[in-house]
Amino acid sequence: MIIGKPLDRVDGPAKVTGAAKYAADQHIPGLTHAVLVTSAIARGKIIRIDTGQAARSPGVLSVITHHNGPRFAYQPPKHPWIYGQTHVPLQNDVIYHSGQIVAVVIADTLERARYAATLIQIDYAVETPEISVEANLDKAFIPERGPFNLRYEYRRGDAHGALATAPVRVSGRYRTSMQHHNPMEPTATTAVWDGDHLTLYETTQALAFTRQKTAEMLGVDQKQVRVVSPYLGGGFGAKGYVWPHTFITAAIARSLGRPVKLVLTRAQSYTMHGHRAETVQELSVGATRDGTITAFVHSAVSQTSMLNEVSWEEMDATTQLYACPNAELTRRVVRLNLGTPTPMRAPLSVGGYALESIMDELSHATGVNPLELRLRNYSTHNPENPSQPWGTGKFLRDCYELGAKLFDWPHRLPRPRSTRRDGGWIGVGMATAFHPTYVSAATVSIRMDADGKALVRSATQDIGTGTYTIVTQTVADALGVPAKSVRFELGDTNFAPSAPSIGSRTAASVGTAAHHAGSALKDKVIAIAVADHRSPLYGIPAAQVTAADGQLFHRLDPRRRETYADVLRRHGPVDSEAVWPAAPGISRSYGAVFAEVTVDDATGEVRVTRLVGAFDIGRVLNAKTARSQAIGGMIWGLGTALTEHTIVDEHLGRILTANLSGYLVPVEADVPDVDIAFVDKADPAASDIGAKGVGELASNGATAAIANAVCHATGRRVRDLPITPDKLL
Amino acid sequence: MRVNITVNGEARQVDDVWPGESLLYVLRERLGLPGSKNACEQGECGSCTVYMDGTPVCACLVAAGQAEGREVRTVEGLASGDTLDRVQQAFVDAGAVQCGFCTPGLVVAAHDLLTRTPQPSDPEIREALAGNLCRCTGYEKILDAVRMAARS
Ligand code: FES
Ligand code: FES
Repeated sequence: MIIGKPLDRVDGPAKVTGAAKYAADQHIPGLTHAVLVTSAIARGKIIRIDTGQAARSPGVLSVITHHNGPRFAYQPPKHPWIYGQTHVPLQNDVIYHSGQIVAVVIADTLERARYAATLIQIDYAVETPEISVEANLDKAFIPERGPFNLRYEYRRGDAHGALATAPVRVSGRYRTSMQHHNPMEPTATTAVWDGDHLTLYETTQALAFTRQKTAEMLGVDQKQVRVVSPYLGGGFGAKGYVWPHTFITAAIARSLGRPVKLVLTRAQSYTMHGHRAETVQELSVGATRDGTITAFVHSAVSQTSMLNEVSWEEMDATTQLYACPNAELTRRVVRLNLGTPTPMRAPLSVGGYALESIMDELSHATGVNPLELRLRNYSTHNPENPSQPWGTGKFLRDCYELGAKLFDWPHRLPRPRSTRRDGGWIGVGMATAFHPTYVSAATVSIRMDADGKALVRSATQDIGTGTYTIVTQTVADALGVPAKSVRFELGDTNFAPSAPSIGSRTAASVGTAAHHAGSALKDKVIAIAVADHRSPLYGIPAAQVTAADGQLFHRLDPRRRETYADVLRRHGPVDSEAVWPAAPGISRSYGAVFAEVTVDDATGEVRVTRLVGAFDIGRVLNAKTARSQAIGGMIWGLGTALTEHTIVDEHLGRILTANLSGYLVPVEADVPDVDIAFVDKADPAASDIGAKGVGELASNGATAAIANAVCHATGRRVRDLPITPDKLL
Repeated sequence: MRVNITVNGEARQVDDVWPGESLLYVLRERLGLPGSKNACEQGECGSCTVYMDGTPVCACLVAAGQAEGREVRTVEGLASGDTLDRVQQAFVDAGAVQCGFCTPGLVVAAHDLLTRTPQPSDPEIREALAGNLCRCTGYEKILDAVRMAARS
């Protein structure tokens, strides 16, 4: 068995030597470069745009504005899934947000395009932008349910009644910030037309989405569009949906008759492909004196843009995590003159932060240990559907136990402000991590050649999570061959259609299809062998033949054996393909996260000194990549808790932190010792290979655990993320 | 203008360079060496780290002309043939690579650290690599990789 083993990344050597080719690394003959000009104002109209000087600048091939912009075959609706946004730039003179695309310059070199872009003169009629969620709360509304089935309202029982009569009531108003994904790889598109066929070298978490929506916008058949993305430098949601820069680049390349490359600058990445919406949440919990929860009332308002009508900040943890008979959830949006929000690694973490904070507040109010409180309200059935037991797929209790032991939780002093070290208060906190388990249909094809080597293909992505490696392991196990006999190619729509890399679904979905494709190929080769009188396996019932280490053998008489290569040398290559339709599961993934912090007396600075996470992710497919995902996820949660905050100028509506020195992602020096444990029990209800998602789950929990630890250290509850030093002084 | 640079031990001559271009642009777009990554173009992330005359620099902040007559070593020049440098090998072994976009810069920065300080302490590693941003790994395994490389 290779599954579960900490196999080194098969793509590791290419990445450490610089050989891995990312979207912007492709060398295309005759390439031209596009540079975007973006709006300096957040609301109003363009009254004059002068492109004369830019057009005459050396090397410039074309200057595009709304006057001569590409016209498209389709207009995305107000709930545009799987487009990123409704608004299509360059169609008219209206400005909805700062940083909106208002012109594109194409030149023979990047520097010439950049220079010409500075020559464009624009006059605006400026209106006052709406940019504050707080100031617009009275205008909040419940969006229409879109095709993605986002849920905006939910009720069970009588939550308000139960809250009013509860012996213990705790309420909190929590605020979370606008945040940006900031994958290290900037978004890039290179569009190359060959007649009426388009090839896009694209930074995408979803080849199929890019293909489908680019074709729709350009009015061509999907078959005319090929999307290529063999390596992706992270995405975290920013590259999940299809955003205008992609189809605009493709349209310009078509009309220009030359290949066009567009790479967004870091600053442009703050307005071109979404962000995590700011939220304001009111959450109340009612409970008995011993901490048994009787009611949750949770209402949240988040930002949306002027044309979109959507909120990705789902808050299902409130209604699904703890046993509680009465619950009410309402989610509203307000329209702001900012770009369109999009899912960012663990959309549920925003509501989860509020929920796990109020659990901590309830623990203070009742005097019940935070861990005990969570166990007291443990749900064995889906609280939204009492006839649906969580069954064998929920190992949250194991997570609590494993994590508490690793962290030495039982020995904490319960009283806040009780421990000091080196000029600071020390505190510990914990939180539960919760995430739905998503899966998508996936297809994997395999060809085994006469040398016994398997070439596996699927039009999916490896966004850094380890898809290359996990699928290699899965196929090797299913075939019974060593991992080095398997080569996996992905990132090309010419391969069999497969799952997008959003919502932590790739490994479970593609892994399952890979498992079935591998098993099917093995069965085919066995059938050939047992029917072939030249084979030592001739005449054995197929069910009694199996494979290991590249050898097919009789289970009862293992001396009767031959290699895959032996069979295929006689018969030629064998192909198989498996489609996994992805039956919607009822599973969730779970975790328990524990944090220790030190809060400096003099500066208010919070340092996380220890993090422990114990996760129930179903079957662990690769101990090394899963661990890396879990650590990365927890540090992601640390960023949300302490440093990450997109700051917008309150008058101009411009993002002030559109770079990596203003927007603070955690760095090496911010990171504590991290300990991870996995329950590692297969959940067959989640996927046929028993795997559930990791990446988002792990980024869910750390934020609240850290916030709770800060409260334990200082006795102060900061309900406003990120917890920057000014909030503690 | 014309720029002469020794890149990974090979003398290269680049023509038609615009004086404002960065060394990173020259490496990536003109010399066919896209290993060094462009993630911010303003010295904030370390993804473009290369050696120039033995000192690590952000190639995005070096003007092409400043590289005239210098020796540049990029991530593509660290391995000898198929044998990875010990830092590269340690990054693979430790699981310090996820999406890999920060990796070329980090590998060069870690290589430099170990050249200067063969047995760095953990705080020295954290300090030395604090200018190299990684959005995927949470850094823990990168720390492991540097410790591992120091032992090998
Ligand atoms: S690209 Fe040079 S430091 Fe970021
Ligand atoms: S591995 Fe993705 S940014 Fe470091």
